[in-house]
Amino acid sequence: MRRGGAFTGYLRSALVAVGVLAALIVDGPPAWAAVKVEPIAVNINQSPWFDGFRKLVELYEKDTGNAVKLNVNPYLGSLEASRNSVRANEGFAHLLVVDNNWVVEFYAGGFLTPLTDLDPRFALEDGVNTYDDTIFWDGQARTFNRKTGKLLGVPINGNVEVVFYREDLYKEKGLKVPDTWDELMANAKALHDPPRRYGIVHYDDRNFVASNFVAYNFSFGGGIFRSPETADFTVTINGPNTLRAFEFYRELGRAAGHPSVGSISQGQAIEALVTGKAAHIVAVIAAWGQVDDPNKSVVVDKVNAALIPKGPTGIRASRAGHWIGVIPRNVPEAKKRAALEFLRWFQQREIQVKYTDFGAVPVRWDVAQSDLAKQRKFRFLPALAENSKIAKMPFPLAEARQVTEILNLRLNEAITGAQSSKSALNTSASEIHEVLRNAGYKTGKLPDLK
Amino acid sequence: MSRPRLTAARVAMHAVLLAAAAAFLFPFAWIALAAFKTQIALLVGQILFTPVLSNFEELLFSKTSRFLENFGNSLIVGGCSTALVLAAGSLAAYSLHRMRWPAGFTHALLLWAAIFHMLPPITMVGAWFFMFRTVGLDNTYLGLILAHVTLNLPLAIWLLSVSVREIPREIEEAAWVDGASTPVIISRIILPLIRPGLTAAAILVFIFSWNEFTVAVNLTQNETQTVPVAIAKFAQEHEVKYTAMAAGSTLSLIPALLLLLLGQRFIVRGLVAGAIK
Amino acid sequence: MQPGPAEDRFWRYATIAPALLVFLVFTVLPIANLVALSLHDVKWIEGRARWTPVGLRHYLALPADGTYLAGVRNTLVFAVTAVSSQMLLGFMLALFTSKAVRGRLFYRTVFIIPILIPGIVIGAIWKLMYNFDFGVINQALGAVGIPPQDWLGTQTWALPAVVVVDVWHWTPFCFLLLLAGLESLPQDIYESARVDGTSAWQELRCITLPLMVPTLLVTLLFRLIVAFKVFDEVFLLTSGGPGKATEVISFTIYRRFFTEGREGFGAAMSLVTIFAIALVTILVLAAARRRETHA
Repeated sequence: MRRGGAFTGYLRSALVAVGVLAALIVDGPPAWAAVKVEPIAVNINQSPWFDGFRKLVELYEKDTGNAVKLNVNPYLGSLEASRNSVRANEGFAHLLVVDNNWVVEFYAGGFLTPLTDLDPRFALEDGVNTYDDTIFWDGQARTFNRKTGKLLGVPINGNVEVVFYREDLYKEKGLKVPDTWDELMANAKALHDPPRRYGIVHYDDRNFVASNFVAYNFSFGGGIFRSPETADFTVTINGPNTLRAFEFYRELGRAAGHPSVGSISQGQAIEALVTGKAAHIVAVIAAWGQVDDPNKSVVVDKVNAALIPKGPTGIRASRAGHWIGVIPRNVPEAKKRAALEFLRWFQQREIQVKYTDFGAVPVRWDVAQSDLAKQRKFRFLPALAENSKIAKMPFPLAEARQVTEILNLRLNEAITGAQSSKSALNTSASEIHEVLRNAGYKTGKLPDLK
Repeated sequence: MSRPRLTAARVAMHAVLLAAAAAFLFPFAWIALAAFKTQIALLVGQILFTPVLSNFEELLFSKTSRFLENFGNSLIVGGCSTALVLAAGSLAAYSLHRMRWPAGFTHALLLWAAIFHMLPPITMVGAWFFMFRTVGLDNTYLGLILAHVTLNLPLAIWLLSVSVREIPREIEEAAWVDGASTPVIISRIILPLIRPGLTAAAILVFIFSWNEFTVAVNLTQNETQTVPVAIAKFAQEHEVKYTAMAAGSTLSLIPALLLLLLGQRFIVRGLVAGAIK
Repeated sequence: MQPGPAEDRFWRYATIAPALLVFLVFTVLPIANLVALSLHDVKWIEGRARWTPVGLRHYLALPADGTYLAGVRNTLVFAVTAVSSQMLLGFMLALFTSKAVRGRLFYRTVFIIPILIPGIVIGAIWKLMYNFDFGVINQALGAVGIPPQDWLGTQTWALPAVVVVDVWHWTPFCFLLLLAGLESLPQDIYESARVDGTSAWQELRCITLPLMVPTLLVTLLFRLIVAFKVFDEVFLLTSGGPGKATEVISFTIYRRFFTEGREGFGAAMSLVTIFAIALVTILVLAAARRRETHA
């Protein structure tokens, strides 16, 4: 054998390798290709979008030959099911679909395997929403951070808040889609005709008022903590911007809202929309499944979704209500990889388009650019895409539930008149500050509002 | 027994009963009717409506619902746990009050049973899930049956204690002196005499097991989920599917109603037997 | 010693064994776990639970929890009003049903129906019935010209509204037990009383009620215990609101223990509540027993 021939062979291989490497660097990781993996079990809750997920899973099984078992739990019970699985010595679910309000418990408790630990090349595709970076967790700072955190999950349900409005009434009265909150207030007043119809219905009961208030709070430039991304958890809930936002929220309810103050749940606000009682609601897109269904609604084809209005300084904010798929630690490696394969397949654009077609809420904003968005049935897609980009998760810490409970109680008390707005915000601030101090965060408090 | 005279008092009594019956039935009728309404018809409070069967179709035949399977699971768990509770409970009640245990022991056991009954289920399920999973009993019929037995045993023991204590001792002593063994005394004398209490306990225990949610949702998965878990699936995060829930609960009434009707005949026969004795 | 099956050693143990076994195996661990939790702070780190002993800190923090105190107050009000109405109503209906000759089966079935329905359905449907805009109650009021009321949204009406639902739901429990009790009363006493010409009212006061004391006590005890655990209705109807108007202890415990994940604090709350109920129970039972021995 000639020495030159062997050398040329090596050179050719090296060139090919360099070419492939160059292609990788330029084009990114290779496109998804079907890989045969172990069967997995997924913990998921029953919901309007569950049927869409189920159909997608059937598609996955057909496409790849991989088996997926769905452990379906009622919404009241889904947290227990996932908690039980991760706390056991060996879990019975290999992929958990968890609400963003609960997911922090799983992050902070160290129950999960970072996706990049399973496969360093795994990355979220460009078109996928990150929902206020809630899929990245920095264990040191104990908060969400895209740069310093690890990728712990892939969004499974892209639920965010939008403005639902009555398009037919807008046409009738010649109204324009509101760009600012003041315009929304004006439109709501114009359509306010009690008791036949209310301009807007807030969901301000003991369980939900803090959630309803998020979009208002952040778009007015307020917030709850000063700068969680830099681990500065100084409590700012009783700042002047938040006060202004809250007074606006109350004024909107007074001027154009439902007479029943402080006792309406998000579900009831959605019911008000579909029974024609509400001209506007600011609620999660998951409600869409009901509006065009003649068995569930009297406003079929009359409602549309819009971007949440901007605040006085031009800030826009929506509320994230999404669900995230995470992989637990206490299951065998092969099952974890299998779960990761599903997530890899799930996030592709064509798959997300099919997902939307099946009736679920996509987690990619570029689905709004597909042909699906041209159909009347999917007219909410542009608003969804825009709101997804500004969605906020206001409690980026392990004590999220405790803080939420405090805020829900105090804001509800303010709404029902048990205490004034200022004193409610001040009380919330000191109670939240107490919780954070005891938990060892870097925190502080603003002086009380006078 | 002759027919009682139609006095004003009797008329008033029946009037009260009928009024109460109407008050009790109205919300139930609302639920039963809701099973045949469309969601929007129920939400807007329509009184006259066009009935539909879509809720039952969704409940029984849709791909996301396993109601018939859940119904079967509930029957198995409910039936077995009730039988076990009645057996253990009646034996224990008899033992505690007629087997001459020290009074301290009897009171301690009854008190412990009552205290356990006071625990909110949510504070227990974590420990139970851990226990059951360690021995592989999570997601099994046996696990849930044992859990329900534990939950309902306090009520059964207390109820049957009341019934047992009313039995005159002379009857037992006479039988014993006549040479009857303990099992014979229990089965031929004690059990027939506590029929009303036994039936009431059976009905309540079955209903509590049938409707039990918190423990069931923790100890079961798809294959073993029971009816309350299935019905709870309609109470979703942003939407309560009232009409499907109504359909589910209407169907889920059937076993308990059957048990009730069966129980009535059982009691009546017992009362007649008692009178004859 | 009087003759009787108690001499039979085998059966003496065999009859108590199943129940005792169930209690030992299944009830000791949860209660022990709860006691241990109440004295520790549990944090999950790296997938494992870390227990840090904190002594009585959780117990001492209870009085400072405003929601818990509101819960205690509301639960007491709730328990007293709901349970007393159910006992009275249940007893009256049981008494009348036992005396009715016609329609007995009908009444027995109808008065039991509410308890056959799962709590979650009762809460959901009653919430619809109380709905301000479309609820059937406001519709009925509107038909006679009364303006719609915000039943679940005002401080004045919220707790009573929840009590009404509870009465509807749980009177069957009292009815069933009290009826069974009434039906096991020896009939001969009534026969001789009738011969002696006693009135219905005297019959009730001097014969029925004294004989029914054990059944009444057990029914009351268990009804009270379940009332303190009331959860489904409150959860679905009001979630403790508006403000704290319908906050009940079991709901606060659920919030602290489960939703907020503060298991140590929630466990302490739970145990204190149980201790209080147990104390009341023991006192009532002891008083009843003393009256029994006197009578």
